[in-house]
Amino acid sequence: MARDLREFVRQVERELPSEYVSVSRKVRPTKFEVTALLETLTEAGHFPMVEFKSTEDAHGNDVDIPIVSNVFASRKRCALALGHDPDKHKTELSLEYARLAGRTIAPETIDSSEAPVKQVVLRGEQVDMGGLPVVKHYEMDLSPVYTMALAMKDPDTGAYNVSFIKGFYKNDPRKLGISIHSPHLERVLRKYEERGEAAPAAFILGHHPAFYLGALALSPYDSDDYATIGSFMREPLRLTPSTTWGEDFMVPADAEIVVEGEIPPGAREVVDPFGEVTRHYQAQCLRQSMQVKALTRRTDAYLQDIFSGHEGHWNLGGIPKEGSVFNAVNARVGNVTAVHMPHSGVSRLACYVAINKQKEGDGKVAGLAALLESWTFQAIVVVDADIDVFNEKEVVWALLTMVDPQRDVTYVRNMSTTFTTAMGHNKVVIDATKPLDRAFPTRFRVPPAAMDGVRLEDWIDDWTGRSVD
Amino acid sequence: MDKVFWVTCPDCAGRFFCDMELRRSGHKLICPFCQNEFLDEESPEIEE
Repeated sequence: MARDLREFVRQVERELPSEYVSVSRKVRPTKFEVTALLETLTEAGHFPMVEFKSTEDAHGNDVDIPIVSNVFASRKRCALALGHDPDKHKTELSLEYARLAGRTIAPETIDSSEAPVKQVVLRGEQVDMGGLPVVKHYEMDLSPVYTMALAMKDPDTGAYNVSFIKGFYKNDPRKLGISIHSPHLERVLRKYEERGEAAPAAFILGHHPAFYLGALALSPYDSDDYATIGSFMREPLRLTPSTTWGEDFMVPADAEIVVEGEIPPGAREVVDPFGEVTRHYQAQCLRQSMQVKALTRRTDAYLQDIFSGHEGHWNLGGIPKEGSVFNAVNARVGNVTAVHMPHSGVSRLACYVAINKQKEGDGKVAGLAALLESWTFQAIVVVDADIDVFNEKEVVWALLTMVDPQRDVTYVRNMSTTFTTAMGHNKVVIDATKPLDRAFPTRFRVPPAAMDGVRLEDWIDDWTGRSVD
Repeated sequence: MDKVFWVTCPDCAGRFFCDMELRRSGHKLICPFCQNEFLDEESPEIEE
């Protein structure tokens, strides 16, 4: 059986039961009830995948389409999605991601009659984009927003690109304002615009999480994302002819919902604000629009959503990037032990690199090499290998005890950047490794031999069953 | 850093911000709080 979202939901419920919750009480997604519940869970330190079983559409009508959100909000779940050991969800997961990104599995085609996503087919005026439980996320958002991935096809090579976008539902049943930030999708779009042609596109509103993680792989422009995604799915991605363009544009057969539409050349409309990955709103601006031609879905489809600016959204930035940063920096300096893009930096702005420092200056070289690996990076911090880059308390300790600001902080001015922050186009590399060119204190420790084998219940009265705060 | 400007909706007095490409562009802004469409010049207050 092909991998799909519903299979993954049940897998998490079965194999990581503490990471799944369901909500049977009806939620009103456009009244912020989905995000209010997710935010309350987050504030309490819980990040489960949430299945909202009873929903209503944008018109306030009950609709038999559950919402699944927070799918990517734990690294364990992302590991599970990729067929990787969930307990090895730190650097091992990042390196496994990089390995999967380096190979492809060709997709396979199935007939529309066999494709689950074609169980319901709506064309033209049958389509109402307000008929789904689309989520309004934040107070100043312009509208409810569809948050998943768009597939487009290069008109010259025929290669498909798949990337996350935002689709603004502005009370028009067959038009979405869309906001594309992916360089590859922008390039495809530019080609159609230069030809004066409408660009076909398919908005994929639910699939197995490996599909979306694979779509984020840093593959060359001309490569086919459907084949790259197959590597992450660990099986050929099943495709089926689209309802609008037939075999000229293939769509994922095992998706939950696919919205087919065209992006007219030159058309622009107002979109945003929207609460973005940086936890700021994106300013209102002009972007493309998509004229919806068809909507196909499973009879019992889920709508998948990203709780933007939170753990799942951040993991979608960090996990696909950490392994490639590790490999690139290691190729240059050869002594990298771990890389992490922390949630505090929204897994876009900051990168922590741990190295086995051999000589003074290694930290700065590693930091500068890492900085070149993503235009989203604003700050790189390099620490020694004994610092756990996944433990921010340790990283901040290194920053506060190892860094001489006059020597170890390097400003790089006027570099390309992606997000709006007060740093603008300026970046910083901080070498927080222990100096090797002068006498310097060492970190204390209890002798490992004394630590080995300590079991608290063997020593502390009535310890069994107590938890550590 | 992208430059933004804040506007105030003339209908509901809700405040939101826009990319500078929309300043004096002739495009109507859309208030996220009440969906009113208005030109930036119609905002009772502009902060930039």
